[in-house]
Amino acid sequence: MTTTAARAEVPPRPTFAQKAMALPSRAAPFFSGPVGLAIKIFLLAIMNALAVWAAIVLADEEKWPAVAVLAVSTVLIDVAYLSRRALPLKFLIPGTVLMIAFQVIPIFYTVNVAFTNYATGHILSKDQAIVGIKGNSLAPPPDGKSYLMAPARDAEGALVLLLVDEDTGNTFVGTTEELSPIERSSVEVDDLGILSAEGYTLVKGSELVTLDRELTAYTVPTSGDAAIRPEGLDTAVELAPTLRYQPVRDQFTRIADGVVFTEPGWKTNIGFANFDKILHNPLVRDPFLRVFVWTFVFAFLAVLISFVLGLLLAITLDKPGMHFLRTYRVLLILPYAIPGFLSLLVWQGLLNDDFGVVNKLLHIDVPWLFDSNWAKVSVILVSVWLTSPYFFLISLGALQSIPTELKEAARVDGGGPWQVFRKVTLPLLLIVVGPLLIASFAFNFNNFGNIYFLTGGGPQSSDQTTAGDTDILISYTYKIAFASGKGQDYGLASAIALIIFFIVATISSLAFWRTNALENIR
Amino acid sequence: MSRRTAFGALVVVVMLGMVAAAVPASGAVSGSVAPSGSLRIWTDKDRRADIERIATAWGSRRGVSVEVVEKNFGDIRDQLKTVAPATAPDVIIGAHDWTGQLAADGLVLPLSPKKATLRQFPKYALDAFSYGTAVKRLYGSPVALENVGLVVNTRLATVPKTWASLQKQALAFKKKSADNLAIAVPQAPAGDAYHMYPFFSGFVFGRNKAGNLNAKVIGVANPVFLRNAPMIDAWDRLGLINSKVNYDTAKNAFLKGQAAFWITGPWEADTLRSSGLRIRIVQVPRIKFRAVPFLGVQGFMVTRFANTHGVATLAKDLVASYIMLPASQRALAAANGRFPANTVAGKQVNNPVLAQFGSAGAGGVPMPNIPQMSSVWEELGGAWLKATNGTSTAARPTFTTAARNIRNKIG
Repeated sequence: MTTTAARAEVPPRPTFAQKAMALPSRAAPFFSGPVGLAIKIFLLAIMNALAVWAAIVLADEEKWPAVAVLAVSTVLIDVAYLSRRALPLKFLIPGTVLMIAFQVIPIFYTVNVAFTNYATGHILSKDQAIVGIKGNSLAPPPDGKSYLMAPARDAEGALVLLLVDEDTGNTFVGTTEELSPIERSSVEVDDLGILSAEGYTLVKGSELVTLDRELTAYTVPTSGDAAIRPEGLDTAVELAPTLRYQPVRDQFTRIADGVVFTEPGWKTNIGFANFDKILHNPLVRDPFLRVFVWTFVFAFLAVLISFVLGLLLAITLDKPGMHFLRTYRVLLILPYAIPGFLSLLVWQGLLNDDFGVVNKLLHIDVPWLFDSNWAKVSVILVSVWLTSPYFFLISLGALQSIPTELKEAARVDGGGPWQVFRKVTLPLLLIVVGPLLIASFAFNFNNFGNIYFLTGGGPQSSDQTTAGDTDILISYTYKIAFASGKGQDYGLASAIALIIFFIVATISSLAFWRTNALENIR
Repeated sequence: MSRRTAFGALVVVVMLGMVAAAVPASGAVSGSVAPSGSLRIWTDKDRRADIERIATAWGSRRGVSVEVVEKNFGDIRDQLKTVAPATAPDVIIGAHDWTGQLAADGLVLPLSPKKATLRQFPKYALDAFSYGTAVKRLYGSPVALENVGLVVNTRLATVPKTWASLQKQALAFKKKSADNLAIAVPQAPAGDAYHMYPFFSGFVFGRNKAGNLNAKVIGVANPVFLRNAPMIDAWDRLGLINSKVNYDTAKNAFLKGQAAFWITGPWEADTLRSSGLRIRIVQVPRIKFRAVPFLGVQGFMVTRFANTHGVATLAKDLVASYIMLPASQRALAAANGRFPANTVAGKQVNNPVLAQFGSAGAGGVPMPNIPQMSSVWEELGGAWLKATNGTSTAARPTFTTAARNIRNKIG
């Protein structure tokens, strides 16, 4: 682009920009009139309608505290936006609502879960579990019968079960009172089941559908505790309870031998038991220090190398006259633009030591993912590949915002390029980038995807624990909580998550405190 | 409040009222109680169309409308734990090894099919869906059977009758080119206990007197296995089984003729048929032990939400009666390229690939369905990976460690 061409293009741009700038001030009177009011009311009405809908759903599921919170916040928002005085509230309320919804509630929920036994086998509430155990504990008694069945109405219109013994072919009619035999010839049966019976009308089609709850609860008592129950619409089975609930001791005992059973169990508060488990379970305790140190090393190196590389690239490409500048920049941002898990899975293939492209192209034989130390290198390298474009972008922006006079002044005072960079550029840069470095460290500290998709925490460690050599705290937590015991242990996972939270919070606040000090120098 | 604000408030209130009045009418929030006589089924993508067809045929006979919801197969189990009652399914499709977890969670209801129906199913398929610490009950109706077999490219090798013949042919084939694999067993990146099981001479869980799986007895490093462990080290040294091979590498190698032997299952039946390769599927020949695979059974379960929705009897009628009929079984198994669980339906299947996979599973071990199995997969696969990835790590200590870790994990 020549200078003249550039100049010729210059004049229309400011006018357009000015026009654009003037738009809000021109539009303001329009939007503060009745049109604006209408739009505002329309938007509020949509919000209210959504709130009403949400309230109905919540009320339906009997979540009353949530309904109350919803009602109060909806009214508050309406008042804030309809009154003319509460201007700051108009900005504060949406922010606060979102913060509560996406930050505060999950934290409360996690803390809450950390003190419960919420895990496989303890999913249901107590009432649900008791109903469930009673249902599951039914079993055919030693000489239990099974029947072909058809729901029917007797002469008075009462619901009865027509039954044909599967083994003997004897026919019965069952009521909630008793089981009584009926004439075999009065019942017509074929392969599909009972077709008709003298003196009874079979319940069919849509009427059958409406009887579902009634049929589910229907029992024809036989002997002792045993009863015939419909199992589906053409089968009935004699079943007897094998467990008995003892409300006083809050437990189920087997009727035959008094052994206590609790499966499915119910969700309940168990105090500090999860934290106790963390301290005493060899699964958690043994590899904790090693995993903790590696988590630190990983997060630190990943951030440091990414930042240094990003900064170097930014300095290199911060030259206005360079050819293909845009192309370079776009190419550099690409790894950042591709979804991380995709890159990670691709890298997993590229780094395979027998069949991977990297080894084949370079004619080397490096066990990238199978050797403990190389796996650590791979994890960091791929993390650098993923995050250095981010630091490149940030550093480029920050570099361009540093006033050139400062650098020139330093140069005039006799500073060499390295001195200028170290004494002027870098400190100014760190003020901008510092908090981002800390945030990036905190992110990498919990960078589950990077580990899980690339190495899955592997290879297996030589210290003979379940924690792999590249497992960081969060990926190891996942292994403990979701691939051990009987499946998922949400309570234990939440307890470990709380501990990780305190670790990250401590490190971050210390680091932020340090950067504040840095800022004060200025 | 100014007059205008008051007017605004009035408008809001009016609109709010209108919307509130309109909402229940729209039926969008019919809430936790689905309209009586409507059944919701969660299924995976492959079987969706056929389940829809079969369930609708059943529904029109019973006067019930059926809603089929498509999910990722693997998500069905975990989403059932967190789903809101209003949108929860009454019936799900699932794998038999979910049974323990779902039953322990109290999320599925026990079933009691007719005796005549039960007689049409192999005992192991019914056992696979049975669970209970106090009382053992059936929680699912089996639909399809699956297991891995040794797929042999008969242009590159002859079907091995003995382990020695398999080993000799595989190693000779591997020597021909650097790209060739001896036996393609998918393992990378984290190990895969399902595909390696035929070569593993241990067992996972023992059984108690009643025949139920006992999570306290772990056979991952049992004496038989430990005696055979040096053999695994030899396979690793020779490169007979290379665990750096992942699923795609194994598959591509076999399809490109770079492997004469491949361990895979009936989900690749279509690929095998359309590949044009001449193949035969057999059980891995007897090593020093019988090299049987894990058996998997897929089927349907009735969830506890069927009770909440007031459709439990209907759901049981569909799952424990209609779906277990030979005709339904044949259609469902065919839809997914699997062998039907119902033996009457099985006799009518005329598909050589499926039949060969079926006989490759003879004497196989159903994957344990107790929830403690989730402590096993990663350790067992990981140990195998470590022992056979060419790093000269001996199998014996690796599996001993795995056994100890599993014990710790189960707790």
